[in-house]
Amino acid sequence: MVNDVHVAPPAPPRWYESLFIAVGAPFTAVGRELRGDVALAFAALGAIFRGAAGRRAVVQQAYAVGNRSLFFITATLGFLGLISVYQVATQIQQILPDFSMLGAAFIQLMIREFAPTITGLMIATRVGSGIAAEIGSMVVTEQVDALRMCNADPVEYLVAPRVLGSVVMVPMLSIYAVLVATLAGMALGHAVFDIPTQTFLSLRLVKGPDIVLGLVKAVSYGFWIPIVAAHAGLSATGGSAGVGWATTRAVVATSFAVVLLDFVISGASYVIFSV
Amino acid sequence: MSAAAAPGAHDGAVLRAEGLGKRFAGGWVLEGVDLALHPGEIVGLVGQGGHGKSVLLKCLAGLLAPDAGRVVAFGEDLATLSSVRLAKVREAYGYVFQNYALFDFMTVADNVAFPLRQRGDADERAVKALVRERLAEVGLAAAVGLYPRELSGGMKKRVGLVRATVTDPDVILYDDPSAGLDPVTSSKIFELIARMQERRAGSAAIVVSHDIDRMRAICARYVMLERGRVVFEGGEEDVAGAPRAVSDFFDLDGAGVLA
Repeated sequence: MVNDVHVAPPAPPRWYESLFIAVGAPFTAVGRELRGDVALAFAALGAIFRGAAGRRAVVQQAYAVGNRSLFFITATLGFLGLISVYQVATQIQQILPDFSMLGAAFIQLMIREFAPTITGLMIATRVGSGIAAEIGSMVVTEQVDALRMCNADPVEYLVAPRVLGSVVMVPMLSIYAVLVATLAGMALGHAVFDIPTQTFLSLRLVKGPDIVLGLVKAVSYGFWIPIVAAHAGLSATGGSAGVGWATTRAVVATSFAVVLLDFVISGASYVIFSV
Repeated sequence: MSAAAAPGAHDGAVLRAEGLGKRFAGGWVLEGVDLALHPGEIVGLVGQGGHGKSVLLKCLAGLLAPDAGRVVAFGEDLATLSSVRLAKVREAYGYVFQNYALFDFMTVADNVAFPLRQRGDADERAVKALVRERLAEVGLAAAVGLYPRELSGGMKKRVGLVRATVTDPDVILYDDPSAGLDPVTSSKIFELIARMQERRAGSAAIVVSHDIDRMRAICARYVMLERGRVVFEGGEEDVAGAPRAVSDFFDLDGAGVLA
């Protein structure tokens, strides 16, 4: 049997249409990406509230996000603590040689800003790339299609456990990051600038809103990093090159998401708590 | 008929493509494809590589949404189904993927048991027994605890076959089941397909392959795609009157006799 279905080729765009396409294409691409992320977020939330994420899978993902990032976070936040205290103390020494408030200000800044955000960025690169590569390779090897054919929802099976694991572990890693950075900064302050440890370990400036702000940021990063990375992985096409692109896209998009969320949440905190 | 079967007239066909079209960025990959699959028959879907066979199978399984026409499975238009209903309809399908598509984080036994466990109503002891039995049938009794990365290409194909058929589905879609295999292993794969189809007399299948010689043993009817269009549909006896491209593909000699 021969079918004769003829489809007329589309007319080429006019010059002004081409201009609009060139200018608007990046915006529409970002818009499409955001729409996909939000749709996946709702689907993942639905799966989580239905209790569809397997407990064993959640524990496995929590281990992968949390325990396997410990060394990475220790090294990164440890060095950040050392560098930050050294730089700030050097400036203070030149202007006003009084270190009494250094530790208190450092701990406040770590809790509300640096610990969750630097941890988020580290998780975005380490875990986000891993999620995109893993799911992307499952897409291009048809394993995701095989899941669908076996009556398994890829969002329930692949995304929801990663989101839950990450939402639990990123705040925990952030708390750990505060501890590591504070201990590293305190050790340097004591060794180089003779700052007494009890002076450095001061919570005088830490208020309730600082802790809430840090935790809200950590939970937000924990939720959105696997969503954005999984969306990149699920959008992978082609072979190994497609997985590579998906991984790169995931790292860029998750890092950008962390910075954007930091800005939005900090702004909201200023409006709500005036801090 | 399976639990997926629903009321509605479908002319006896369990699966039907009507004016099916699918386009990607490069243009139309499928155009105006009509195809019907009836209970108990095995249709050979042939054609050169890149002419839309795998895309057609994915549209028939509801894995790709068509851009024109529709796919009707068990009397239901797949495009109109909710995700829950589509998943229910898919329980009546088995799908052997071209690239095996075995879950690399599961053992062979778990891969095969997965579709049974997804149904949720199976007794775990019965699932394990059935998995062992089916794997033993294809000579993989010793491979239950292995991971896909530890298997050869032929073994992966056999595991894929068992996973697709372990639920005794009404429709099985085989996407190039002998791709990349040596002739001996290919013959074994086609023997297994024949055996699996015999197990359920009413089940229907579409087999995509370039291996015409081995398809002759199991297929009564063929559909040939060229540039996304159906250029031939019929049995071997109809090939002689078909266009040259079709007879060439079927390796017909000048006298109109199948070689």
